[in-house]
Amino acid sequence: MTIRLIGFPFSGIVLRVIICLKELGIPYELDPPASYKSLRDEDYKANKHPFAKIPVLFDGDFKITESRAICRYLVSKYQGKYNDTILIPNDVHKAGLVDQFISYEFSYYDPPLSKLLYQEKVVKSLNRDQDPEVIKQAREELAKVLDVFEKLLEGKEYLNGEYSLADIFLCPNSYYVYDAGHSDLWDNRPNVKNWWNRLYNRDAIKKSFEETKSFWENNPKF
Amino acid sequence: MTIRLVGVSASYPTLRVIICLKELGLPYELEPPASYQSLKDEDYIANKHPFGKTPVLFDGDFRITESRAICRYLASKYQGKHNDTILIPNDVHKAGLVDQFISYELSYYDPPLLKIVYQKKFVKNFLNKDPDPEIIKQAHEELAKVLDVYEKLLEGKEYLNGEYSLADLVHCPGTYCVYGAGHSDLWDSRPNVKNWWNRLCNRD
Repeated sequence: MTIRLIGFPFSGIVLRVIICLKELGIPYELDPPASYKSLRDEDYKANKHPFAKIPVLFDGDFKITESRAICRYLVSKYQGKYNDTILIPNDVHKAGLVDQFISYEFSYYDPPLSKLLYQEKVVKSLNRDQDPEVIKQAREELAKVLDVFEKLLEGKEYLNGEYSLADIFLCPNSYYVYDAGHSDLWDNRPNVKNWWNRLYNRDAIKKSFEETKSFWENNPKF
Repeated sequence: MTIRLVGVSASYPTLRVIICLKELGLPYELEPPASYQSLKDEDYIANKHPFGKTPVLFDGDFRITESRAICRYLASKYQGKHNDTILIPNDVHKAGLVDQFISYELSYYDPPLLKIVYQKKFVKNFLNKDPDPEIIKQAHEELAKVLDVYEKLLEGKEYLNGEYSLADLVHCPGTYCVYGAGHSDLWDSRPNVKNWWNRLCNRD
């Protein structure tokens, strides 16, 4: 039975799961909701996500929510089944460090990135004015985080040495902010820049963003 | 070689790891840093935590940071070695749901909790200022909505995933902090949530 993924492919959070599915070679069907509003329906909250969010993944009768939990589940169950890609190492120490980097993403990287994403994408789409002070502070905060990443990436191709789930989680929203006029934050730091280029040259990541573009072309109402 | 945990037990991320160590029956040494300021020293940043935070765990030469990552590592490596306590089920689907509930904690439960802790503990004790009542009120309302969802999720269940797991554990320290700071009504006025909390508090 094919895996069913509920969500919009342009959402950075859903893209994490799409990249993971493609990296592991797992076939799936994307099932976009009717609209963002429909996530608040009682039926959605009762049968899909109690906090009215995307993504939601169905693997047969098994339902799981929350992008990071979904990706860990997919790796635990399917890593090595369709191809050789390793997203969480089998060694308990290496896996522990991947978890650590996933936590860095959530705790330190994502907060300023999300503020920038909100200003650059959401505020504009609601026809409101951006807040330059918020953008300035978020940029400064993200710059400090990327300074730490610059050191962490010294002598390494990816955060944990080899490519892992930790790198995937950072991708999607970073791309949107990078593309919205903040590319200097990544490009000014040589280790970070090389890591960035490596990520965006991966097949699974390129194809995931192509899927986003094609969705937008076919669904202009979004 | 004993596990070394760098942190203060009053800090709730460190307390998460302490509870996990005790649940798994693991001996450890707690090593509080010299001061809050010392976390920003170059040496601390280079050799302990690159973002200047606690907790940090040393297992022999292996160093790992971030409380939830540390707990997962301890469960992966030591679960079943010192006692029978299961924090992450072996079944891939049950483990997936434990991860899901851990994500609910970090995405929805912890943010308002953290705002209240920040106002009532940090602002008051470290910055010597008055807590902002408006922020506390909004955080209280946000947490109330989250607990309404938890009330439904806990229907017919003793713990979030049915059996006790890491998902329940990660909720404990922050909850304990805020419950004791004048917000107990949030948990006590919801029967399933209240029973869940009492069960958690009664664990050794």
